[in-house]
Amino acid sequence: MGVGLEHFLILSAVLFAIGLYGVLAKKNAVVILMSIEIMLSAVNIAMVAFSRYSQSITGQVFVIFIMVVAAAEAAVGLALIIAIYRRRKTVDAEKFDLMKW
Amino acid sequence: MNIYLLSPEISLLALALVVILLDLFMDRKWLLGVVSVVGLIVPAAFTVALWGTNQTAFGGALVVDQFSLFFKLFFLVVVALVILSSTDYAHKFAAFRGEYYAILLLATTGMMLMASTRELISIYVALELTGISLYVLTGFLKDDKSSEAGLKYLLLGAVASAVLLYGMALVFGLTGTTHLREIATAISAEGLLSSPALLMGIVLLVAGFGFKIAAVPFQMWVPDVYEGAPTPVTAYLSVASKAAGFAVILRVFYEALGPASLDWGMIFAVIAAITMTVGNVVAIAQSNIKRMLGYSSIAQAGYLMIGLAAASTTGSSALVFFLVCYAFTNLGAFIAIIAISNKIDSDQIADYSGMARRAPLLSLALALCLISLAGIPPTAGFMAKLYIFSAGIDSGLVWLVIIAVINTVIAAYYYLRVVRVIYLGAPLSEERVPSSGALRAALSFACLGVLALGIYPWMVLRIAEVAASMLLP
Amino acid sequence: MLGNFGYIGIFLLAAIGFAASTILIPVTLRFLGVVPRKPNPTKYTTYECGMETVGKSWVRFNFRYYFFALLFVVFDIQVVFLYPWAVHFNQLRLFGLVEMLAFVLILLVGFVYAWRKGVLQWK
Repeated sequence: MGVGLEHFLILSAVLFAIGLYGVLAKKNAVVILMSIEIMLSAVNIAMVAFSRYSQSITGQVFVIFIMVVAAAEAAVGLALIIAIYRRRKTVDAEKFDLMKW
Repeated sequence: MNIYLLSPEISLLALALVVILLDLFMDRKWLLGVVSVVGLIVPAAFTVALWGTNQTAFGGALVVDQFSLFFKLFFLVVVALVILSSTDYAHKFAAFRGEYYAILLLATTGMMLMASTRELISIYVALELTGISLYVLTGFLKDDKSSEAGLKYLLLGAVASAVLLYGMALVFGLTGTTHLREIATAISAEGLLSSPALLMGIVLLVAGFGFKIAAVPFQMWVPDVYEGAPTPVTAYLSVASKAAGFAVILRVFYEALGPASLDWGMIFAVIAAITMTVGNVVAIAQSNIKRMLGYSSIAQAGYLMIGLAAASTTGSSALVFFLVCYAFTNLGAFIAIIAISNKIDSDQIADYSGMARRAPLLSLALALCLISLAGIPPTAGFMAKLYIFSAGIDSGLVWLVIIAVINTVIAAYYYLRVVRVIYLGAPLSEERVPSSGALRAALSFACLGVLALGIYPWMVLRIAEVAASMLLP
Repeated sequence: MLGNFGYIGIFLLAAIGFAASTILIPVTLRFLGVVPRKPNPTKYTTYECGMETVGKSWVRFNFRYYFFALLFVVFDIQVVFLYPWAVHFNQLRLFGLVEMLAFVLILLVGFVYAWRKGVLQWK
């Protein structure tokens, strides 16, 4: 039994589901941001695995871009969380209810 | 490699950097807005000069054809109108004016790239350049509502792009390439049409892009973000961001997934029906005008998706034409709202009561735009609906068009309710509503556009047809 | 194929065994009475040498570190692109150089912005 493409894809799908669960179930905005990072990592694993098995380097280039953009996104996200925390003294996503969802 | 093909984007990026540096090293801040608007002439000139070329660069990642050039010009006009109308609003973030204009320009750069890439990595990067700029702009006021809206937009947007990326990963894994044309060849050559993984990839792509254009069930961010964001940014979001989303959807689905059009055509038809119904029904209950226009823009996205569901050249050209009409109409409505709410400091529809006596011209413009949104002749909205409905019927989507017509009737109710409040309500005070010359210029341009497209649409329609004909090989 | 996993298994067992034995051996020796028990305050400190620890480990970091982290991210990202670029520099030629210069210049504008806004000063 070898480690094949499907193993990586299963790992990636499981990670993606864990991240999605975190996004939907967690209350702390920072934790939600972390869950999103898990989802992106899941995508990265799938990309690299596909890239390895289709003998095309494009997938790995894609991963570099995903990592870079994710870093920018996290930086902006943290900045917004800090802006909210300064005014409200909370990062609880359920308390962000000035406007109804 | 031909750098000249990328000149509109490069000059726009340079303009954004110049605005940032001017802001840092110069004291006369009022110049920033002037520089941003006047500077837009350079990328616009490059875009017009490139009209007629049909070439690719950067290994096929960048494609310059009439479709992308049309959208580039579209985004430049929209951002110019938004900057002009921001002059009345910018006092709310006086210390950050330079950043505001620069980030607006950066978002536009991203949208222009979105319209002109034919490769998944570039699409993703352009999408995120737009997205991240818009998250920042949404939270720009730094008050409770604005930063809350910004964070919600960011969190949901990031989830949407993760979903989109997963779809891209599946498509890439199945076809082994990220170039849209090569994906299409690989799909038909390897008989992937019946593959469930491809269907999964398509569904994830629809979900990811559906977020950008605010299609149900990915619309939950729209009302909050539209209400919380600074009004010029709301106008920009509702017009440019949506148009960019549709541009990229047209590219990806026509050029890469064209062979699978039976699958995604049906998905879009169902989503279109649900989207327009949800948008219109919920809009009736709104008391905040920005929120109401938010739901109205969801409904308009539903009409627009008829063009996607049609999956034909008629459909895509009707969609492009609809986008232009919608842009003028919605921008006009929001610009009028900026001026009025600046004075009365409220977005409640009830506070607009009797506005016609306090600001006759602004009210007339707002009423015209609302009538156009409702789709009543002789306005742009009527022509747009006419063309997109007939494209739907051409493709045999009679059921969808019937739903859309019923929706148009429902929508007329809440648009005309606002018009009634403005004209027949008793004014809350007798004070006049002031507005700057820049804002009035932008508003008149938008209103003239609405009327011109309603009475003489043929020229724009012809250009839209040329642009849309670029999509199919 | 199974062999590959076999090696991983051996390493795993060795690692677990080492960790377990370093914990279990002293406990066993203490239990058998080989090791005497003579506690004193110095033995109970967290570190045998170095600074005394103050407070708990669950402290909030000063918020000001955020800006430095942000600037770090910018340059970190720059390096992510610089490495593949440097490896292929010979093939990319002048075009690659110009493109990278443009990239660095754009980041430099961001850096100038941070500098002018006084982010680099510890207030």
